[in-house]
Amino acid sequence: MAMLEMRDVEVSFSGFRAIAGLNLSVNQGELRCLVGPNGAGKTTALDVICGKTRLARGHVRYRDREIGNSEEFRIARLGVGRKFQVPSVFKELTVRENLRVGLCKPHGVFSNLVGRKSGESAERLEALACLVGLADELDHPASWLSHGQTQWLEIALLLAQNADLILMDEPTAGMTGAETHKTAELFNQLKGKHTLMVVEHDMGFVREIGDVISVMHQGRMLAEGAISEIERNPEVKRAYLGSGRISDA
Amino acid sequence: MSDILNQVFTGLSLASILLLVSLGLAIIYGTMGVINLAHGEFVMLGAYTVWFLQKNFGLDLLPCLVVSFFAVAAAGWLIERLIVRHLYKRPLDTILATWGVSVILQQGIRLTAGAELRYVKMPGWLSNAVPVLGVEVSAYRIFIFVLTLLLLAATYLLFARTRYGFSLRAVTQNQEVSRCFGINAARVYSLTFAYGAGLAGVAGALIAPLKSVSPDMGTGAVIDAFMVVVMGGVASLMGTVASAAIIGQVSGLLAFVYNDTVAKALVFFGVVILIRFMPEGIFSVRVRRG
Amino acid sequence: MTDTNSMRWRLTGYVLFCVIILVFPYILNNDYLLNKYARYLIFGVLSAALSFSWGYTGILNLGQAVSFGLGSYAMAMALKLRTIPIQTGAGGLPDFMVWNNVKALPWFWEPFHSYTFAVFAGLGIPMLLAFVLGWFMFRGRITGVFVAIITLAMLVVINLVIVDQQKYTGGFNGITDLSTFKAFGVGFDAYSLSTYYLVAGTLCVVLLGGLAITRTKLGLILQAIRDDENRVRYFGYDVASYQNFAFTLSAGVAGFAGMLYTLVMEFASPTFLSVQLSLSIVIWCAVGGRGSLLGAALGAILVTGVQGNLSESPTFLDTWMLIMGAIFIIVVLFLPNGLISLAEKGVRLLKHKSARETATHPVAGAAIATFDSKRVRES
Repeated sequence: MAMLEMRDVEVSFSGFRAIAGLNLSVNQGELRCLVGPNGAGKTTALDVICGKTRLARGHVRYRDREIGNSEEFRIARLGVGRKFQVPSVFKELTVRENLRVGLCKPHGVFSNLVGRKSGESAERLEALACLVGLADELDHPASWLSHGQTQWLEIALLLAQNADLILMDEPTAGMTGAETHKTAELFNQLKGKHTLMVVEHDMGFVREIGDVISVMHQGRMLAEGAISEIERNPEVKRAYLGSGRISDA
Repeated sequence: MSDILNQVFTGLSLASILLLVSLGLAIIYGTMGVINLAHGEFVMLGAYTVWFLQKNFGLDLLPCLVVSFFAVAAAGWLIERLIVRHLYKRPLDTILATWGVSVILQQGIRLTAGAELRYVKMPGWLSNAVPVLGVEVSAYRIFIFVLTLLLLAATYLLFARTRYGFSLRAVTQNQEVSRCFGINAARVYSLTFAYGAGLAGVAGALIAPLKSVSPDMGTGAVIDAFMVVVMGGVASLMGTVASAAIIGQVSGLLAFVYNDTVAKALVFFGVVILIRFMPEGIFSVRVRRG
Repeated sequence: MTDTNSMRWRLTGYVLFCVIILVFPYILNNDYLLNKYARYLIFGVLSAALSFSWGYTGILNLGQAVSFGLGSYAMAMALKLRTIPIQTGAGGLPDFMVWNNVKALPWFWEPFHSYTFAVFAGLGIPMLLAFVLGWFMFRGRITGVFVAIITLAMLVVINLVIVDQQKYTGGFNGITDLSTFKAFGVGFDAYSLSTYYLVAGTLCVVLLGGLAITRTKLGLILQAIRDDENRVRYFGYDVASYQNFAFTLSAGVAGFAGMLYTLVMEFASPTFLSVQLSLSIVIWCAVGGRGSLLGAALGAILVTGVQGNLSESPTFLDTWMLIMGAIFIIVVLFLPNGLISLAEKGVRLLKHKSARETATHPVAGAAIATFDSKRVRES
């Protein structure tokens, strides 16, 4: 049984159909890469899943629950986490405070007013900071971080959130080669325990992490399969026309 | 029947004044994301310009309108240059700074022109009533209505058909990119701010003969304009027009049934309830965010 | 500079301030001055309340005076009903009702015979109003400048209604000729030490309690909402509830300040919920420092103190508004975090000097890191 199931999803922005009949299903524990030329609707697909964008038609089911057009925070509480293309963290808070916000249970207003810091969460927080190499930055405001470090912080926030389904929009943008490699390692550790959906342009990175790749084009699914199949697929080649090969996209 | 028509005409007259006052506010907000809290004081300045010209030079209202437009536009241009310009990245702070400007303008007028109420004469040829569809309607209110339509058309043409309008739309879409194409974004912003201010000046000049002119007359006017902008959204001029028309008619009706204050309160609560369900206003256009 | 360390500095400042205002009457025991300073401290409470919603949560409430005024009226109504019969009209009706030909006490005045009810109303009505307005705004995802103009519109509308309903509210004159508030056997005359302590105690509780709240996880989430409201949603927090909590709590504190203000001024008036007062609150908060409760309170005390001590002649007050407008613009343009940010900078500089040998400059470190990643991206 698929963990996430999108059926005939349609999204339009003042007449322009960004997604036109998208079908997609992702299984528990899978690491799915979503690729496609610019404007294919990849980011919009993630937006629909996490509730940022309303769908005009179709269904989004998560663990057998309809989540299409639900409020963002309700979807997040079901265990869906999201990383944005432009890394968004809380600039004026320190790294430690950012992570505390990410450790998001409980969610309620009053339980967070009277709740105490538990020793366990403090330990987890430090461990997370170590994992993403920000242990020395814990008490610095997030605005002091470099672009790559900010990406890492947002990834750490998602790990703190402990989401079952993690949606990543270009997680390696602005990272160095070494950092990208480290991200790939991390993602490989995460899959199995978490389910990941990654939108990526960097095909090297996709090759390192991807089992199954879904290719989107003009708001619908063009092809799905292992990377070797995808690279040979003539339709995919046509979609990327101009750039020649998929790797250059 | 004639009662209903009478009421509709009152509503239309209110709506045209509302539209005049809110148009400048909506244009400035729509293009720069700046709420100009000194907008009401621009309206007030327009009214005082007429009072000043009538008192010292005995001018008729029509030439005063033109002078009001340019005088207040110049004031707006100056304020944009000196203050607003530095705050485009901090929209909440623009509200604060323009609030400071409004205090200074209000107090400045109080100290120079005096705190007492002033009165402005209507042109003689507009001061009688005209029969329309069997109902007596004030000629001056018809004049305001027609002039509002003309200004609206002029604004539309300015935005849709001129090179300035093209630059403005480009800058609104993406400032950085427009700059790369050689559009002087700073100049476009200054001009837009000045134009919005000028419209407020004309609005003030036009309502001056209907109400008494006082240093704090702007506060009430700008609150109504806020309601129009909140309800109409910022997507298009149409939203502002429709919103002004609805609020004008509803206020007119409520003021007839109860009184002006109750009408204002009920319109406010109506708008608050509306935004819960249509946060982007009644004329929202769905766009992809971020 | 660690988190706990800067917290210690901040706490020291707050406690020091509380001690100063509490021992103040021992240094200067003058009824007239106590009354005047009590007024300034109430403005401090009001300004700190705004800092909580604006500085910490990013909700710029331009209608803060609504809560203040409603609190003030609630207290005034209770005190009016206890005025000795000579000042009250026939049948125990407040004098202004008699002048307006009201025959019987309106139903919503009745419960104000009870002090307990009045105190709860002074807190509860502003909170309820804020909660309802907040529900509509925050559920509708209205933020930023629209919150500012909607709250300002509400202020103007409620002010108009109160002036308009002269029969029940006293109109322009407000509610005057009040009796003295008594609770637990203590009288709170406007010029008494007890009133000063009530006010000073309130400010201490608001500052220290507020600081404690900002240190909880709730406080952290509020600041996160200020930074990036949308990001917070995707962690599963119901942002609207959090915003409404801050908005409502701030309104409650302002309402309480309003009740105290009635005790100190001995009347309630529509000027307590005027645009001008609301503007002043925002100015105090901005001048002192919106991001700090103490800074905001100090800003209020400083500005009103200067205003009250320079002169009270009308010509001066006229120019004063001009000066205030100019100061406000200058602060917004050049010192967005207020005077307190200068003090914080000073403290940081002192500590930095002593720690220079042991640690590298963090900003420089970050700059190098940024440079690194840039270079790689370009290569």
